[in-house]
Amino acid sequence: MTPPPRDGRRLVPAYLATTGRARPSRNTLDRLTVLHGAADPSTVSGLRPEEIRLLELLRGGALSLAEAAAHLRLPVSVVKVLVADLVDAGRLMARAPIPDAELPERQILEKVLNGLRTLKSS
Amino acid sequence: MTEIPVALTVILSVGTAAAVALALLLARSARGAKRLRQRSAATEKDLQEALRHQAALAQRAQATEAEVRHLAGARVPDLTAALAHPNVPVRGLLDPAFRGTELDRALTTVLEQVSDAVTKERLRVDGAAQAAMRGATTTIQALLYQLQTRLQTMQERYDDPFIAEDLLAADFLNEQALRRIQSTAIVCGAWPGLTRQNSHLGDIVVGAMSRLSGYERVQVTNQLRDPVGVVARAVEPAAVVLTELLANALHYSHPELPVAVTIQQGNRGASLIIDDAGVGMHAEELERAQRLMAGQDNVLLTELGDPPRTGFATVGQLARQYGFTTSVEASPYGGVRAIVHIPGEPLLTLLDEEEQPMSPMAPVPRSTASAAAVPSAMPGHAATQRPPQPRSEPARNDTVHLDAGAGRTAERPYSEPAGDPQAQPQSAEEELPRRRRRRPGPYVDLGTSGEAAGPAGSAGAAPTAEPPQTPAASPEESAQRWAAFQRGTNSGRAAVDEATETGTLPRVTPTAPGSDTDHGNAVADDQHADFRSAEGNPQA
Repeated sequence: MTPPPRDGRRLVPAYLATTGRARPSRNTLDRLTVLHGAADPSTVSGLRPEEIRLLELLRGGALSLAEAAAHLRLPVSVVKVLVADLVDAGRLMARAPIPDAELPERQILEKVLNGLRTLKSS
Repeated sequence: MTEIPVALTVILSVGTAAAVALALLLARSARGAKRLRQRSAATEKDLQEALRHQAALAQRAQATEAEVRHLAGARVPDLTAALAHPNVPVRGLLDPAFRGTELDRALTTVLEQVSDAVTKERLRVDGAAQAAMRGATTTIQALLYQLQTRLQTMQERYDDPFIAEDLLAADFLNEQALRRIQSTAIVCGAWPGLTRQNSHLGDIVVGAMSRLSGYERVQVTNQLRDPVGVVARAVEPAAVVLTELLANALHYSHPELPVAVTIQQGNRGASLIIDDAGVGMHAEELERAQRLMAGQDNVLLTELGDPPRTGFATVGQLARQYGFTTSVEASPYGGVRAIVHIPGEPLLTLLDEEEQPMSPMAPVPRSTASAAAVPSAMPGHAATQRPPQPRSEPARNDTVHLDAGAGRTAERPYSEPAGDPQAQPQSAEEELPRRRRRRPGPYVDLGTSGEAAGPAGSAGAAPTAEPPQTPAASPEESAQRWAAFQRGTNSGRAAVDEATETGTLPRVTPTAPGSDTDHGNAVADDQHADFRSAEGNPQA
């Protein structure tokens, strides 16, 4: 996924999206947080344009926070605030990223290797 | 006795003669005396005349002197004051008796020359001041833009909430500084300092308000029906004009009152209406604002007060240079209503929302707000196959209409009618669900733009926005092709098998009369050709 080409100087600055806030109300969000379960923006009133567009973007599927930020062409820190607000209002779900499968520890691997070697040599 | 009368006669005659002579003399002398008297009377009269004349002259000299003193002491100072403040009256002659005389003309010439000299000097000094300001502002503006870029990249780079918040705050401060510098530069005769690309009107409005402290109070309503944008060269000027008018609205209204901006689309252009509920302006201020905003004469820095209030002058300069129309009047909300009209003919264009989406902060236009009720493109979920949606008809019409227009008409002049909306829905109805390109912008409906361009439009529609248009294959058509292919290979194999095993005619190929292996191959080829023709002409 490539972000859209950014030609020319931006006309609308990012601080407008959150009126300058960049500290989300919850600190559980990161770039890989999966956003899903967006409410239908046309049924919810009182949303700001950027919130409508974020919900619009997430309808019908899930996106990671970083992807959503790239689509909206906003910094991740700002999108975090938007997401936190929407999650607080119950209009969006955020899920922690699925962690990588845990790798066995190095010591155990070494023990297994040693065992195999002894098997081979004996 | 005779002697006596003779003597008497003689004496008498002599006496008579003497008397006559005397009488004559007497008469002459009396005439002379009378003449003398007359002459002296005339002389005396002359003398009095001369005295009167002299008195008049003296009085006149005095009056002239007073007049000159009045010129130096009152009229010239009045004039210089009037040149600086046009509402100061210049006093006239002290003595109305001089009106129209040579003296009056001479004194007027003096005043004119003083006025000329002062005006020229003021222009020169103001020009120098403006040039100095321009030099400084150009450099500062360029530096602030660099700072803006730097701050923007940092915002992308740092996720830490505290750093990010500081960066946003710094960005905002930078924008405010930039706005000040820019408006000063424009009043001093510089150009706005930036050329942007064609931009949506909604973006311009939010961009303009983002440059002002108190922007949270601005409430934007977007009444546009089409994705109207401003052509590149007028984008920044339009933003600056709006910024200045919004700054007035925000500054002269209570910090808790909202400022309403409405974007409206007209037949011949678009209007931006800014209403505040603030203190308002009285008639004189309105008149002055109108005069400055008309932008007819060059503005002098000295006319703008100390510190210079550049707002209306900036608006005036840009309105004159780029062809906006601006006006201010009393607002029905009690404050001031400012209207900017952007003429459609040279300055507006329709933008392709898919190629150039609005910024997320731009006010959602009415038409798309209703169209958004229909699930449209889902960028980022490319794998999602969208089932055919039951469509709400009016909203659908709207989007189709807009998109179909936008694809072909990136260069279309704004004033041209945007195509026949009634012609579109049918083709949209027949359209099949298609996969979406991964594109941001929730309103983008790529599929529609291709199909809705009409039967002839599929090849020509939006070459830049769409991937190369291959003839669309419906699932049924694909199934047909693959079925034909499968039939072909099956029958070919069967023919070959039967021919090699039994030497009889292949059962499934009624047209093939031969009995050898070669013939079986030929049959397979035949079927193959059939498949190819099916593919070559998917409509068959």
